[in-house]
Amino acid sequence: MFIDVSSLKKSYISGAVVNEVLKEIGMELDEGEIGVILGPSGSGKSTLMNIIGGIDRGDSGRVIVDGVEINNLNNDQLTDYRREQIGFVFQFYNLVPNLTVGENIEVVSNISKSPLNVDEVLAAVQMQDKKHRFPRELSGGEQQRVSIARAIVKNPKLLLCDEPTGALDYQTSRSILKLLQQVNKKYGTTILMITHNAAIAAMANRIFKLRNGEIVEAALNQATVPAERIEW
Amino acid sequence: MPLNKRVLRILKENMLRYVGILMLIILGSYTFVVAAGISQNLAGLVTTFTEGHMQEDLSFSTDKAIADSVELEKASNSIIEEYMSFDAALSDSLTLRLLSKTEKLNIPAVIAGRELSGPGEILLDPAFARANGYPVGSSILAAGKTFRVVGYVSLPHYIYPLKNVYDIMVSPNNFGVGVINREEFTGMDNVSVIYSVRFNDRTRSLNQQAAQFRERLHGEGITESGWIDIMNNKRARMAWASITGLKTMSVPVPAAMFLLSCLIIGIVIWRMIRSEAVIIGTLYAQGYRRRELMRHYMAIPLLLAITGGVMGSVLALPSIRPSVMAMVSYYNVPVVDIKLSFSNVLIGILTPVLFLGLSSYLVIRSELKRSPAELMKGGKQKTGVNALERALKLERFKFSTKFKLREQLRSVSRLLFLFLGVSSASVFMLFGFTIMNSMDYVFKNSTGGTYRFEYEYAFKELQYGKAPEGAEVFSAGRFYPENDEGIEFYVTGVEPDSMILTLQSSAGSPLPNDQTNITKPLADRLGIKAGDSVTFINKQDGKPYTFHIDAVADSYAGQFIFMPIAEFNAQLKLPENSYTGLWSTKKLDIPDGRLSGTKSLSETTKAMDELLGPMVSMVAVMTLISCVVGLIIIYLVTSLIIEENKNTISLFKIFGYRRREIQSLVLNSSTFVIVAGFIVGIPVMAASMGAMYGYLGAMINLVLPTIISPLYVAVCFAAILLTYQLSKLLCAKKVNAVSMSEALKAGME
Repeated sequence: MFIDVSSLKKSYISGAVVNEVLKEIGMELDEGEIGVILGPSGSGKSTLMNIIGGIDRGDSGRVIVDGVEINNLNNDQLTDYRREQIGFVFQFYNLVPNLTVGENIEVVSNISKSPLNVDEVLAAVQMQDKKHRFPRELSGGEQQRVSIARAIVKNPKLLLCDEPTGALDYQTSRSILKLLQQVNKKYGTTILMITHNAAIAAMANRIFKLRNGEIVEAALNQATVPAERIEW
Repeated sequence: MPLNKRVLRILKENMLRYVGILMLIILGSYTFVVAAGISQNLAGLVTTFTEGHMQEDLSFSTDKAIADSVELEKASNSIIEEYMSFDAALSDSLTLRLLSKTEKLNIPAVIAGRELSGPGEILLDPAFARANGYPVGSSILAAGKTFRVVGYVSLPHYIYPLKNVYDIMVSPNNFGVGVINREEFTGMDNVSVIYSVRFNDRTRSLNQQAAQFRERLHGEGITESGWIDIMNNKRARMAWASITGLKTMSVPVPAAMFLLSCLIIGIVIWRMIRSEAVIIGTLYAQGYRRRELMRHYMAIPLLLAITGGVMGSVLALPSIRPSVMAMVSYYNVPVVDIKLSFSNVLIGILTPVLFLGLSSYLVIRSELKRSPAELMKGGKQKTGVNALERALKLERFKFSTKFKLREQLRSVSRLLFLFLGVSSASVFMLFGFTIMNSMDYVFKNSTGGTYRFEYEYAFKELQYGKAPEGAEVFSAGRFYPENDEGIEFYVTGVEPDSMILTLQSSAGSPLPNDQTNITKPLADRLGIKAGDSVTFINKQDGKPYTFHIDAVADSYAGQFIFMPIAEFNAQLKLPENSYTGLWSTKKLDIPDGRLSGTKSLSETTKAMDELLGPMVSMVAVMTLISCVVGLIIIYLVTSLIIEENKNTISLFKIFGYRRREIQSLVLNSSTFVIVAGFIVGIPVMAASMGAMYGYLGAMINLVLPTIISPLYVAVCFAAILLTYQLSKLLCAKKVNAVSMSEALKAGME
C-alpha cells in the first residue's frame, strides 16, 4: 500500500473542551491511484489530509506513506518529506500575488532535487502562453491550473488536493478534474482529493466517506469515469 | 465611540512596531528641543555677556602711546581703553597670560569668588584653574610674584581662551588667562600695552568705522600692530560657530525623523485600512459616517504623535542645562540664567502632530473615499502588481533574486522609507567620523607634513640678519581680498631653500619654495588656480599688492600664500634681510618683550589629542544613535514585509522550505536597499559636509577638508550591517512563528 492509515486519532483541546476530530481512522490507497475523501464540513477531511501531507500530526495511530511512518518523523524530517514527496493543490489556489505564473512554479522547483522543466509543466496545464502574467490577471480556473503546475513540478509521489474545484464553476471544474486525471496518468502521481461533491467520486479508484471523524464507508471503484463525463 | 476601544488593542497587537515609530518621533522632538534650547541659551548668554560687559570691536598695539585718547574717542565716536598683558611662563609648557583689570571695555565678570580688592590678588580663567589645580583661595606664582586666587573670571574678549588668535583649539593644560590690578605690572619687564576700541554707533558697519579709526591713528603719526577686529577674533567668534551649528542642526535632524515617521505611519495606516476594507464597508453600510471613521483611524497617528512629541520634549528639558553647562566649559561665559523655552516645547509637540496628522489624513481620506460596495468586496488592490514590478524583466535571475527584488519593489513607499532611513542613519554616522578625521588630518598629518619646525616666534618689530642655528626666518603680513574683509589670511615670505616648509603638489611631488605657492583651502575659497595673478589688500597699510601664483600646494595647514622672502620684502618695501618671525626646530632664548606671539607645534598636537578624546565619545554616541535609528527602520520594514508575506511564508513552509531558506528569502530581501542606501549616503554626507565646512570657513576663518577615510567608511558599513543582522535576528522569530495553517485558512486570489 502506498498510503496506509490505521487507528489514527486526533483531538484539539480548546480550554476545557476536547474536540475529537479523527476517531480511529483507517484507510489505504495504492500507488498511482486516485482517492477521494467525501464528507460534510467539520467531518475531519482537512485534518486527515494535513496529517497525511505532514502539515499536522496525529495523536496516535499509524500513518505510512510510501513505506515511511509519518508520525515518527521529527520536524526537519517532515519538512524534507513535504519537500520531496508531496504536492499540494488548494481550494483558493494560494498563488503568490506578486510573482508571475512562471515564478510561482519556480517557488517549488527552486527547492526540488529533480524538478520537471517549468515550461513542460506549464504546457501540460496549457498555460505556457501565460508564463509572464501575474495571478491577478488570470481567471479562477487558470489560477488553479497554475496551482496544479506548481504542485507537480517537483514530480511528487503524492498530490493532495483540498477542494480543488470548490471555488470554480461547472465547466472550469470539469477541466481541472480532467487535468488532474491526466497528471495521474502521465506522471503516475497518486492523488488524494477532498471534496464535498459526491459526483467527483466517479473518477476515483477509492472513495472514503467521512462523518464526525470516522470513515463510515470505504469503497473500491472498479469502473472509474473520465472527468469530462462527470456531471452534477 | 465603541469602535475606539480598538485603538489601544491595535497598538498592543503590534507593540514593537508602534514603539519603533514612537521612538523616531521622540528622537525628533528631543533633538529639536535640545538643539534649539542649547543654541538659544548659549546665544543669549554670549550676547548678554558681550553686550553687558562691553566686548571690544577691535584691539591693537602701537609704536607709541595715544597721546589724547579722549579726543580720539570723541572724533571716532568710540570708547578706547588701554590694558596691559604679560605672558608669564609657569613651566615649559604652561603659560598664564596676566591681563590688567579694565573698567570700560572687556569688563571682567566674576563667576566665582569675589572681585579684586587688594594687592597680590588674581582672578583666573576657570578652565585653566581647574586643569592646573588652582581653586579659589589657593596661591599661584607668576612673573616672580605670588598671587592669591580670589575668584574665577569670564572675559568678553577671551570667551574661547586661545593663546594666539590664529590657534584653533583651547588647551587649558597649556594656557590660561588671569586678571590682576594694573599696579601689579610694576616691575614686570616687557609688558605689552594693548588698546581696545568699541564704537558707540552699533548700526554702522564696524569695518568702515575701523578703517576710519585707523586713518585717524595714522594721521596722528601712530603705527599700529597686532590689529584684530572682533569678526576675525576666534577668541570671541568661536562660540558663534557652535551656536550656528546647533541652530542649523535643530532643523534637518528632527525633520528627517518626522519625515521618516510620516512615511512609516502612512504605510502602516494605509495597510491597516486596506486590510479592514470589508469592516469599513460594513460599518458604512450600517450608517457610520466618513468623519466618524476618519476620527477613529486618525486616533492612532495622533496618539503616537502627541505621546512622542510630549515624551521627546519633556525628556529634552532636563538635558538642556547640563548640555549648556558642558558647552560653557569650552566657552568661558558667565551662566546667568538658563531658560527653558515653552514655545520650543510646543513646536516639539505640534510639529510631529502636524507632520503625522497631515500625512495620515491624506492616506485615510484617499481610502475612505471608496464606496461601501467597493470596500465590502475587500481590498481592491490588495493583490495588485505595480507598474514597476510589471516592467521588470527578471527571467535571467535566480529565483531567490527575483523574489527579493519583487519583494522590495512591491511597495515603493516602503522601499523609500528603508532607503531614506538607511541613508540618513549612514549620513549621520559618517558625519561624526568625518569631522574627527578632517580635524585629525589638518592638525596632525597636514600640519606635521607641511612644517618641520617645533617653535614659531613672531616679533613685534622687524628683525635683521641671519637666523640662529636650527632656525629659518620668515616675514608675514595679513591680507584680504578687495571687498571681502571677512576672508583674512597670511602672505608669508620664506627662505627659498627652506628645509622647514615642505609643500607638495596635489600629485604628491615637492613644491620648491623659490616660487609663490598658495595652500589648497585658500585657493579653493578664493577660486584661485596656478598661473593666476591676484591682488589683495594688506591689512597693515591698506594698499593693494599683486601676486602671481605659481602652484597650489596640497596642504590644509592653514590659509597661506608662501613666496620667497626677498620678493616679499621687496614688494612690501620692507628692508632687505629683514624678517618678522622665526621657525625653529628647538626652543630659542628670545626675551618675551620682543615677541608678539609664540607657537609650539607639539602643543597644538597635544591640544588636538585633548579635543579628540571627547570627540571620540561624541562620534560613539552619534554612531549609537544612528544604529538605533537604523535598527528601528530596518525592523519596521522587515516586520511589515513579514506581515505582508504571512501567507507566502506559510506556503513556503507547506512546500517544504527550511527555516533558513525562508529567512534568507524574506529577511535578506532588504540587503541591496541597505547597501544602496549606505553608498548613496557617502556623497550626500560629503556634499553636506562641504557646505558645512564652507559655512564654518566664513564664520571663523577656518577651512577644513572633507576627508573620508576608507577605514571609517568600512567601520560605518560594518555598523550598519551589524544593525541589519540584529534586526534580522529580531524578525527571525516572527518568521518562525508564522504557522502553516495561515495558508490553509486563506482565501486569497
